[in-house]
Amino acid sequence: MINVDHVYKYFGKNQVLKGADLKIEKGERVAIVGPSGSGKSTLLRCMNLLEEVTYGEVWLDDKLLTPVDPYLHYDIIEKSNTFKKLYAARADKVGEEGARAEIIRQIKQNDLLKRAEGREFSAAVKTFYKANILDINVARQRMGMVFQQFNLFNNMKVIDNLIYAPTKLKVMNKAEATEKAYSLLKRIDLTDKANVYPNSLSGGQKQRVAIIRSLMMSPEVMLFDEPTSALDPEMVGEVLALIKEVADDGMTMAIVTHEMKFAREVATKVVFINDGVVAEQNTPDKFFDDPQNPRLKDFLSKVL
Amino acid sequence: MRQPVLWCIMLNNLLATFFENFSEIILSGKYLKMILNGLWLTVEVSVGASIIGLILGSVVAAVKLLPNNNKWMKIPKFICGIYTTVIRGTPMALQLFIMAFVVFAIRGFPQEIVAILAFGINSGAYVSENIRAGILSVDKGQTEAGRALGLSGARTLVGIVVPQGIKNVIPAIGNELIALIKETSIVGMIGMFDLTQASKVIGSGQYLASYFAPTVVVAIFYLAIVYLLTLVIKLIERRLRAGDKR
Repeated sequence: MINVDHVYKYFGKNQVLKGADLKIEKGERVAIVGPSGSGKSTLLRCMNLLEEVTYGEVWLDDKLLTPVDPYLHYDIIEKSNTFKKLYAARADKVGEEGARAEIIRQIKQNDLLKRAEGREFSAAVKTFYKANILDINVARQRMGMVFQQFNLFNNMKVIDNLIYAPTKLKVMNKAEATEKAYSLLKRIDLTDKANVYPNSLSGGQKQRVAIIRSLMMSPEVMLFDEPTSALDPEMVGEVLALIKEVADDGMTMAIVTHEMKFAREVATKVVFINDGVVAEQNTPDKFFDDPQNPRLKDFLSKVL
Repeated sequence: MRQPVLWCIMLNNLLATFFENFSEIILSGKYLKMILNGLWLTVEVSVGASIIGLILGSVVAAVKLLPNNNKWMKIPKFICGIYTTVIRGTPMALQLFIMAFVVFAIRGFPQEIVAILAFGINSGAYVSENIRAGILSVDKGQTEAGRALGLSGARTLVGIVVPQGIKNVIPAIGNELIALIKETSIVGMIGMFDLTQASKVIGSGQYLASYFAPTVVVAIFYLAIVYLLTLVIKLIERRLRAGDKR
């Protein structure tokens, strides 16, 4: 479903992600945990390109969301002037296939590709991009996102928060959207709050409205960025219960969370991010009971 | 010992002249007409310049705020940057001179238009910065939420961010318009007859030979205009904030 392929993310000189790889299959529920500052939120935000990736690619099904990263495609590297030059110099010494593989490895390791690599190379990148790119706004319609700070639209009543995107994007007409909004509000038991502004809701109510706002677009996958971290402790339960409900409906999801108990309960896969890379991923039972990575052992001993 | 008495007499004389002149300005059609002529010009230039300033400022702010993901956006962004820098970095009086004696140095060209353009262009630079600051003060999460739902950058800006930012913008725009009205008093420098100039002429030796009454009258006029504008701005602000909490 989502494939994060060798993603690097730099904020200026600060390297947050350093080649993160993560695959999320359809129906999977992935919990992303890790120490603060390890890049787990950034990784999640790279999935729907709220953060532009510096290097690497993000794929949604078989569609590319980011610019092409030539280092990930051997056939594109082979069209570069650098490759041709190196190949011409070495072809006679080693066997042909061996030479190709070795030169590509050399180019990748030493970051040898330059800004301009000849017309053939640019054409290959362009062709690949055109063949695979998916407009990010279309992609985002298929990916719901829930934020730590809720981010309900403060200038709109709850009901307008829910129907704004689907009607503006012409996914539904207003009557359909309103009907769906009320059925979702009924599900979270907030029908009476339809015509109030978000300011007058409690944190838990805000977050539950934010979740159904994403559901309004009928997404194929939901991304949760620490959905309970900004909540009062007594409101965490109601939000987790709703997320669990959505999970039980078979929604594919990725959740960045500090709630280990919840991760273990709901997730089908738990991922440990440390220092910008995926350090370990496993089923919840193995992840929590038999961690391999020493940093993960240390982390779990502190949080559990 | 005689000093206080002297002061009293002087004060008495001054006040007597003041009230005499004051009533003369109000009652004699001649002076009132001069003041109303000046008032008309001040209002004309202020209103015209405000309209140009608001439109120009909004456009420039929009250009500066739109996401920089297109190479064709770079040129308008660059031009707008130069515009605000130059306009805010040079004195208004100089800009007025340039407009009147360089750009529109055409015999018979209506001076009102020159003034309106000069003040409008000047005001636009400040308005654009006010709008930009107000819009940027809206929490970044609002944009992210809009974009994450699949809305385009422009749609998010117009539908979600601007309606929230406009509340923060209104007081600053009000300030700018008030400053603009008072700043129009320098049009006398290019020979135009505005409210301030009216007071100067009436107070000159040719007419009343005392500036006290005419300047006070004109000050009252300015105060009244600005006060009226303040009320309007407060009204608009209250309207916009009504949706905030319920």
